[in-house]
Amino acid sequence: MASISIPIPLRERAKSGVLGWLATVDHKKIGIMYMVMSFAFFIAAGLMALLIRLQLAAPNLQVVDPNTYNQLFTMHGSAMIFLFTIPMLVGGFGNYFVPLMIGARDVAFPRLNAFSFWITLGAGLVMLIGFVFGARSDAAWTAYVPYSTKAYSPTVGMDIWLIGIILLGIGSTLGAVNFLVTVYSMRAPGMTAWRIPMFVWAMATTAVMVLLATPVLTAALIMLVADRNFNTQFFVANRVQLWQHMFWFYSHPAVYIMILPAMGIISEIIPVFSRKPLFGLRAVVISTVIIGLLGFTTWVHHMFVSGVDPAIERFFMFTTMVIAVPTGVKVFNWLATLWGGSLNFKTPLLMCLGFLATFVIGGISGVMQGSIPIDQYVHNSYFVVAHFHYVLFGGSVFGIFAALYYWGPKITGRMFDEKLGKLHFWLMFIGFNITFFPMHFLGLQGMPRRIATYDPGRGWELGNLIATIGAFILAFSVLIFIINAIKLRHGERATDDPWEGNTLEWSTSSPPPEYNFLEIPTVTSDRPLFDERMRTPHM
Amino acid sequence: MAQVSLRDRNLTQTRDVAPARQKNVGLLGVSLFIASESMFFLGLFLAWFFMRNTSDAWPPAGVTPPPIAPAIFNTAVALLSAFAVGLADRAIARDDRRGLVGGTVVAGALGVIFMAVQAIEFTELATLAQSSAYGSAFTFLLLFHVLRVFVGVILMAVLLVRALIGHFSSKRRLLVQATAMYWYFITGVWLVVFAVLYLIG
Ligand code: HEM
Ligand SMILES: [Cu+2]
Repeated sequence: MASISIPIPLRERAKSGVLGWLATVDHKKIGIMYMVMSFAFFIAAGLMALLIRLQLAAPNLQVVDPNTYNQLFTMHGSAMIFLFTIPMLVGGFGNYFVPLMIGARDVAFPRLNAFSFWITLGAGLVMLIGFVFGARSDAAWTAYVPYSTKAYSPTVGMDIWLIGIILLGIGSTLGAVNFLVTVYSMRAPGMTAWRIPMFVWAMATTAVMVLLATPVLTAALIMLVADRNFNTQFFVANRVQLWQHMFWFYSHPAVYIMILPAMGIISEIIPVFSRKPLFGLRAVVISTVIIGLLGFTTWVHHMFVSGVDPAIERFFMFTTMVIAVPTGVKVFNWLATLWGGSLNFKTPLLMCLGFLATFVIGGISGVMQGSIPIDQYVHNSYFVVAHFHYVLFGGSVFGIFAALYYWGPKITGRMFDEKLGKLHFWLMFIGFNITFFPMHFLGLQGMPRRIATYDPGRGWELGNLIATIGAFILAFSVLIFIINAIKLRHGERATDDPWEGNTLEWSTSSPPPEYNFLEIPTVTSDRPLFDERMRTPHM
Repeated sequence: MAQVSLRDRNLTQTRDVAPARQKNVGLLGVSLFIASESMFFLGLFLAWFFMRNTSDAWPPAGVTPPPIAPAIFNTAVALLSAFAVGLADRAIARDDRRGLVGGTVVAGALGVIFMAVQAIEFTELATLAQSSAYGSAFTFLLLFHVLRVFVGVILMAVLLVRALIGHFSSKRRLLVQATAMYWYFITGVWLVVFAVLYLIG
C-alpha cells in the first residue's frame, strides 16, 4: 500500500463541545450520533417488547389493556425497523465506515448528510414523544387499511405515525444519494470495482434499494394521510390491496435494506478472524447485487391470503424461491472462509457465528413461507413472528453487535472487555433462541400474532412462558453490553489495527483524526492492509 | 506515478476545491435524486392503473373529467420552457451570460404561467378529489407535479439572481446544469401525466 502525500483540507477548525456535535458535518460524528440515537430507540422498543412478553406469559393476563397492547406492538415493530435497525446499519456504520474504507476524507455531500441525520432524529422524536403522550398508532407496523383509515383509527396518533415515516423516508432517500455518489466518485486511487470492500458493496446495493423503493411507500403514506384528513378516496371500498402492494413494494426491499449491510459486516469480520481472504469475493459481490435486484420482484409473497390472482401469486412464489439461491451462495462462502481458517474466537467472530446459525434458520422458515400452501396455513401466526425475528434479530441485530465489537475500538480508541463480551454473546444467543424458537411451534399450533391475550387449554401456555423467560435473558444480555460500553472508558487502549484487519479504516489512528488520513492511501488489492503487513516486518 | 491525476482525485475529497470533478459529483447526485423522484411518480401512476383496472367505470358514473384545453395549453408552455432552459444552459457553456439570463427569465416566466393555469384548475379539482378514487388520483398527479414545478421555479429564481451577479461561466455552471436536468425531468413527467390523465383517461 503505497501512499501519496496531499495537503489536508483547510476546514473550519473543529468546534468542540455541544456545538461541535450540533453543527458537525463530519461523517464520523454524524455516524456516532446515528448510532447513539438508534441504540436509544432500541432500548425503548426493547422495553416495549418486554411488556408484550409479560402480557403473554400466561393466559388471560392483563398487564396492559388490549388497546395499549396493540399500540405497544405497533411501536415496537415500527421503532425496531425504522428507528433502530435501518438508521443503525445505514446511518451509523454506513456513515462512519464507508468513507474510511474507501480512503476518503468525508462523504460527497457532508451538509446533506447532516440534514439527513437531523430529519431522522426529528421524525423519531416526533413518533416517540407522540407515543409517550398518548398519540399512538395501533394499526401495526404495516398500517394496513382499513385499520389505518379514519373510520378505524380516528385519533391523531395514526397521523403522527404516518408523518414520522414520511420524514424518515426523506432522510434515508437523501442519505442514499449521498452514499452512492461517495462510493462512485471518492474512492482512493487504485480502488477498482473488485477492490471495493464487501461492506461498501453491500452499502451501495442497499442505497440503490432505499433510493428506488422508499418513494413508492412515501406516495402511499401521503395518499393515506390525504384520505384521513382531506377526504380523498384512495383506500375506500375494497381497495385494501392497493395499500398492500405499495406498502410491500417498499417493505420487502426493506428487509434487504436491513440484512445486506449486516451481511456486509460479517463478510468483513469473518476473513479477519479466520486469517483468510473472503472465499469467492466476486461471488459474494455478485450475489449481493442480484439479491438487490431480485428484492424488487418478490413483494406479493406477503399477500398470499389477500385474494391476488393465483397466476400472479405463483410468479411471486417462484421469485421468492429464486432469491434464496444467491443468499445460499453467500452462506456457503462464509462457511468456506471459516473452513480451515485459524479461528480467533473473539466476540466479533462469535457474533458472526451467531448470525450464521440463526439467519440460516430464519432463511429456511422464509423459504417455507414462500410456498403458497404453507404460507396460507401459517400466515399471521406466531410462526411468522418466529421467522422474522430469526432474520431481523438473529441476522441484523447479531450483525450490529458484531460490528460494535469489531469497530468499537476504532471508534472509541478503547478495547472492549472480552469476558463481558463473551458473556453478552452467550446470553444473547441462548436468550434469543429460548425466546423465539418456541414461537415456531406456537404458530403451527394456531396461535395468531397480534393478540393481546389467549384462553388456557389450547396448548400455548408452556411455549409462551418459555418465550417470556427468554426475553428477560435477552434483555439481561443487552444490559451486559451497556455495562461493557460504559466500562469502555477505562478499557485498554486500542492500537490502530488491533485485529490485523484488511481494510483501510485500520490504517489510520483509533479514533481517526477529523481528516481521516494524513496521506490518502493507494490501493493495489482488495486487502490493502494485508499487503502493508506483508511488506513491513512484524513489530 | 501519474501524480497529477491522483492529485485531482484526492482534491475532490475536500469541499472547497477542484470544481472540475465536483461538477460531475453534483450532477450524479441530481441524477440519482431524479431517479428517486421518478419512482415516486411511478408509484402514483401504478396506483392510477391499479384503481382503473379494478373499477367498474373509470371515471365513475356522474364524474366528468376536467376539460383538456388548459392541459394542452400547458403542454405547449412546458415544452417551450424546457426549450428555453436548454438555450440558457447552452448559452453559458459558451460564456454567454446574457443568453443565460434571457433563457432563465423566459423559462421561469413560463413556469409561473404553468402554475397559474394549474391553480385555476385546482378550484374545480378540490371537489373532484373528494368525489371518487378517480378524482383523488387525478388531483394527486397534478398536485405533486405542480409542486415540482414550484421547486423548479424557485431554482430558476436563485439561478437568475446568481446569473445577474455573475456567478456563472462556462467552467462554473453546475447549478445551471442541475436546474436544467431537473426541469427536463419535470417536463417529461408532465408529458406522461398529460398522456395518462387526459389521453388514456
Ligand atoms: C428484545 C427482543 C424482542 C422481543 C422479546 C420481541 C418480541 C416480539 C413479539 C412477541 C412480537 C409479536 C407481537 C404480537 O404479534 O402480538 C413482536 C413483533 C414484532 N417485532 Fe419484535 N421482539 C424483539 C426484538 C425485535 C427486533 C430486534 C426487531 C427488528 C429489528 C423486531 C421487529 C418486530 C416487528 C416488525 C414486529 C411486528 C409488529 C407488528 O405485528 O406490527 N423485534 N416482537
Ligand atoms: Cu418479503
